[in-house]
Amino acid sequence: MRILSITTSLSEDSTTLKLSNKIIAAATSAAEAAGLSAEADHVNVRNLSSDLTDMALTGFRSENLEAAFAQVAEADVIVTVAPVYKVAPVGLHTLFWQLIDEKALANKPVLIGSTGGTPRHSLAGENVLRPMLSYLKGIVVPTTVFAATDDWGSIEGGRSLNARITQASEELIGLAASLNGVDAGSSAGPADEDADADSASTTTGEFGRRGARRNPSIDNEFNPDLITPFAQLLEG
Amino acid sequence: MELGIFTIGDVTTDPTNGTTVSENQRIKNTVEIAKKAEEVGLDVFATGQHHNPPFVAPANPPVLLANIAAQTKRLHLSTATTLITTTDPVRIAEDYAYAQHLSEGRISLVMGRGNTGPVYPWFGKDIRSGIPLAVENYNLLYRLWREKNIDWEGKFRTPLNGFTVTPTPLDDVPPFVWHGSIRSPEIAEQAAYYGDGYFHNNIFWPVSHTARMVQLYRQRYEYYGHGAAHQAIVGLGGQVFMRKNSQDAVKEFRPYFDNAPVYGHGPSLEDFSTQTPLTVGSPQQVIERTLSFRDWAGDYQRQLFLIDHAGLPQKTVLEQLDILGEEVVPVLRKEFAKDRPADVPDAPTHESLVIRHREGRDPIPGGGPGSRAYADRQAKAAEKNDTQGADR
Repeated sequence: MRILSITTSLSEDSTTLKLSNKIIAAATSAAEAAGLSAEADHVNVRNLSSDLTDMALTGFRSENLEAAFAQVAEADVIVTVAPVYKVAPVGLHTLFWQLIDEKALANKPVLIGSTGGTPRHSLAGENVLRPMLSYLKGIVVPTTVFAATDDWGSIEGGRSLNARITQASEELIGLAASLNGVDAGSSAGPADEDADADSASTTTGEFGRRGARRNPSIDNEFNPDLITPFAQLLEG
Repeated sequence: MELGIFTIGDVTTDPTNGTTVSENQRIKNTVEIAKKAEEVGLDVFATGQHHNPPFVAPANPPVLLANIAAQTKRLHLSTATTLITTTDPVRIAEDYAYAQHLSEGRISLVMGRGNTGPVYPWFGKDIRSGIPLAVENYNLLYRLWREKNIDWEGKFRTPLNGFTVTPTPLDDVPPFVWHGSIRSPEIAEQAAYYGDGYFHNNIFWPVSHTARMVQLYRQRYEYYGHGAAHQAIVGLGGQVFMRKNSQDAVKEFRPYFDNAPVYGHGPSLEDFSTQTPLTVGSPQQVIERTLSFRDWAGDYQRQLFLIDHAGLPQKTVLEQLDILGEEVVPVLRKEFAKDRPADVPDAPTHESLVIRHREGRDPIPGGGPGSRAYADRQAKAAEKNDTQGADR
């Protein structure tokens, strides 16, 4: 299973990057607990900032951007994490999702993570990103993960953040497994902070067996064997 | 191989001195550029079609092309592009056929949809119907140029009853048509279906993408039985600025690039040069870059350069034409001819199209007997009959 994080980490070693790494780790272990092998990859939108503004202005996609969009197309699940600025995920992050191809997330489970200074920003991901990702045909899991300053500095905050991460990751992996016809046991069940062998499925079904059902990559649009025949266009 | 230039007719303030030429001057400059193109030995001049400032490319290109035809002898005159979405196909059929007669067959067209949203409603159209408009309008145009007393009914214009275009095309052979599109596979498919040419403006996007569009067109051209994939008719654009020393070229062109319409204030000149076919440098660099197009596009038929935009002074543009004519085009001609398989056709001309027509070799839209498309249709029809038989 390919897990991809699309994260906008504006500074080196940001809390956004830390949150992203924690979610990836939790998703990877949830996958392994469900008997699925997982490989995780990471795109930092910061590194695409000029490419994104160039594309917004000129319409052309740089090779870096093409590569990132292709990674999204090839991923099985997406984790998207960004800092919240003025009650919305930072514009650079939304720009990435605004410029990607229509239906780029078809059939892909998506997990929304956000960071911010205070819990008052906690619904920013819900309000702004959830509809955007749904528009792209992503299947956004019910639990979103928001991490405020408190969550990093206190024992209680840290525990509850970890619980949210575990919950959301299990939802993500459980959904991915069922979409692909793999029995992931009870891993999509309610949060269980002690989740371990007990709740892990023993199924070792190969993930992506029904790969044909995964969303077609954008390359298919240009595949001579899959193109809509012109006679059909002529009929209207 | 046809080598030439194409213009979008923008009236842009020269960023180095703040002057803006009048529309009148820009229009006359455009005619001068076209005449100069013939004088320095280029094959093609192509103009865009525009309905909005800051452009004075003609709203009806045959007006400009006929004027240039009257002042030139052998230059091929083309569009890049004719707006097939918002222009009545009946008027396209009539006006371009008229210009074709006046120019003794030197006219060709590149069809485009137009990406300026506001233009569509001015003509009672909707940009969301861009592809269906291109499909229906071209199909009507195709018939208008080949049939008499047409009865026709469609979604986007009033019906026609017993309509015949006047004048009919010169020698009963319509002007050659290319279909241009930056990223819509439907248009590459359209070009292949009819056995027409496919043109990619090759200015804004990485060659990896352009190559994908060209390959799609080539393979579908073969599928429809108009020839092998490597024989499909491909045209490419490109954008160049040249000085003897490449550093001088970069220094002189940078302010124009940075403030250009469309991509100005966006990517850097360096990034744009790496990621797209833009070449700013010495004539030798332009030669090498242009020859490299063949590596990903295959042997192709038409290469057009954009050289006159972004507020460049007329004097500079004419100098660019001199460099193209003296140093670039002769080398490109020679090099493109090298290792070119004998069965790769040249760019179609009126003369070659007349011969093709008289020999009964006109492409059959959708593919005639012997093509894979034809075989697929037969197989599908047979399958349908079988199913119907079983039902009974």
